[in-house]
Amino acid sequence: MSTRWRGLARGASLLLCSAVALCSLGCKSLLTPVSPWERETLSRPDMAWESDRMLSSIRSHVFYSKEAARGGAGGSGGGCGCN
Amino acid sequence: MAATEGKRKAGSTALRALTSGALALPGLAGSARADSAAELFALEYAFSWYQEDDIDSSLVAPGSATERMKIQSHQIHIDKPWSGRVDLDFDLMQEVMSGASPIFVEPGPGGKPQQVMSGATIQEQRTDISSAVNFYFDTGRITGTGGVSTENDYLALSGGLEGVKHFNQKNTSLSMGAGFSLDTIKPVDTDEFPLRPEKENREGYDVFVGISQIINEFAIVESTVSYQRGSGYLSDPYKEVFVGGNRVADSRPEARNGFSWLTRYRHHVDLLKGSVHADYRLYLDDWGITSHTLELAWAQSLWDVVQIIPSVRYYTQSQANFYAPYFDQATDDGYASSDYRLSPFGAISWGVRAETQFPTGQIQWRGRISYERYDSGASYAIGKVATPNPGLVSFNVISFSLMGAF
Amino acid sequence: MSNPQLVRMQARKSDVEQNARRVLCVLLSVLGVMLGAASAVAVDEGEPAPVFEAPALGGHGIVSLDDHRGKVIYLDFWASWCPPCLESLPQIEKLRGAFSEDEFQVLAVNVDSKPENALKFLKRNPVGYPSASDPKGVLPKRYGVSTMPTSYLIDQRGIVRYVQSGFRRQDIDELHSRIKKMLEQE
Repeated sequence: MSTRWRGLARGASLLLCSAVALCSLGCKSLLTPVSPWERETLSRPDMAWESDRMLSSIRSHVFYSKEAARGGAGGSGGGCGCN
Repeated sequence: MAATEGKRKAGSTALRALTSGALALPGLAGSARADSAAELFALEYAFSWYQEDDIDSSLVAPGSATERMKIQSHQIHIDKPWSGRVDLDFDLMQEVMSGASPIFVEPGPGGKPQQVMSGATIQEQRTDISSAVNFYFDTGRITGTGGVSTENDYLALSGGLEGVKHFNQKNTSLSMGAGFSLDTIKPVDTDEFPLRPEKENREGYDVFVGISQIINEFAIVESTVSYQRGSGYLSDPYKEVFVGGNRVADSRPEARNGFSWLTRYRHHVDLLKGSVHADYRLYLDDWGITSHTLELAWAQSLWDVVQIIPSVRYYTQSQANFYAPYFDQATDDGYASSDYRLSPFGAISWGVRAETQFPTGQIQWRGRISYERYDSGASYAIGKVATPNPGLVSFNVISFSLMGAF
Repeated sequence: MSNPQLVRMQARKSDVEQNARRVLCVLLSVLGVMLGAASAVAVDEGEPAPVFEAPALGGHGIVSLDDHRGKVIYLDFWASWCPPCLESLPQIEKLRGAFSEDEFQVLAVNVDSKPENALKFLKRNPVGYPSASDPKGVLPKRYGVSTMPTSYLIDQRGIVRYVQSGFRRQDIDELHSRIKKMLEQE
């Protein structure tokens, strides 16, 4: 990259970073958090990581024994966030 | 070579983990967890029926059985409230397996690999018991798990510890955990099958770290990486390999290091009253296996009481370094396996399930029925497969569950 | 002619500078995200409860906090999609019955974006106290609600004396004794 473009890119990235940082500090956060009373949609059963733990468990068990791959933990966060 | 007629118990190793016990997988106990201690006692029962397709007669050695495995499982789950901040989980699974399974692959006419199956077998039973204690805090949870898995030729003890911490008004969640499994195998019929070891041990350990982030009111994403290590006897005592004209015992390295990275996404479409589910997992290990799994589902809500969820899953894996359908001569390091589960292949499965939840009086009910069809084949794999393993399996699973909470 | 070594050192220095700036950017952004995420000023114990007037759920009348000054007030924020909220409603109704109407008042604010869902629940599980309807979430924001459900015990002079975050069955006993103490103090 030529020096001119490099300088421009450097300046632009610095500006962008500062804007992001200032915005984050001054206004709301970059990813405006969803407030506790706004979690109606996230609490729907169709938005769960696993809607049926028994079925997830048996499927995991079956694939585990027929395929070489293993692992794939997950399932925290989201939902209603209540209590 | 003629097919064997041994009284080999079917399925003992087919459903067994190659490294860590399934029970020690962190996250299984924690999946679909609420954020606070259960206040209702819940009892759930599920029944599943699993049936593999007969193996194609053109793929088996003459005289070999073509019937494959059939499994019926019963699962029970209990949620027991303990205090305002603690609850307990109990899980019991019992399965009965019958049918034949692949023993080894031999070269048939023209060098085409042929599967040799075990003979007709007696029913085999496996029992898994596991338990978890959950401690809930205002911004997180800690869970301790323990379990036992047993069959007449096998015993596994497992345990784990995991935790979740929420940040950013519970928009961001960090989870981590570690688990172990200690297994002892005492294969049956070692007099009839002298290649089988008398007694072997193996250990498995796994750790994971994950982060989940709410994107907006309608979407959430999660990504988890995990490392798994297996050591000890990792071979399949009931399988053999055709090496230089002789049948030898399946022999795999004494250590295995694996890495998996799972990313999941959920997005609700208000207009359609449904949600998109997308899951992708990358897996790599030092046995030379690379695999990709992609699962897509659409959760359609009907009248707020029923969900219909069609789904599709694509899987592909490359082969293990020491795998071949059969070997013309002994390998340099002595490791060799012709197990289809270490061969290069792909699989497509599709399924549909229906779930409902409703109260009657003081009881909250939940019910589910599901069906899934799985087809594997060399043609589904990413990358060219020179010689498909004749033992690749396809199956159907039908399952239902019912839960009452009061 | 510039000294090549000097030029190289300067180039390296500016690379380091650039990397340092990048790291600083990332750190600032992360800090920003974390700080920005901290909720607006929440109403704490000892502070006056923000006065409000909101339409009642179902559209019949107004729910006003000031109307009940002079009584001990239990203000409960709830939603039909929040399971602990639903479990708490009959418990709160029982709590209401334990004290005289002249000294103790329960008020609720429902934050369902579709109020008809809340009405559907109340139809099957009626309570004897009024719920305000706040589908836009103006009041929980003003009060700085940190989790669902959250309730505030407000004394006879309109000061918040206790914030109940979340709800577990055992919490009712604590609330009962606090209300009793607040009534005795007057």
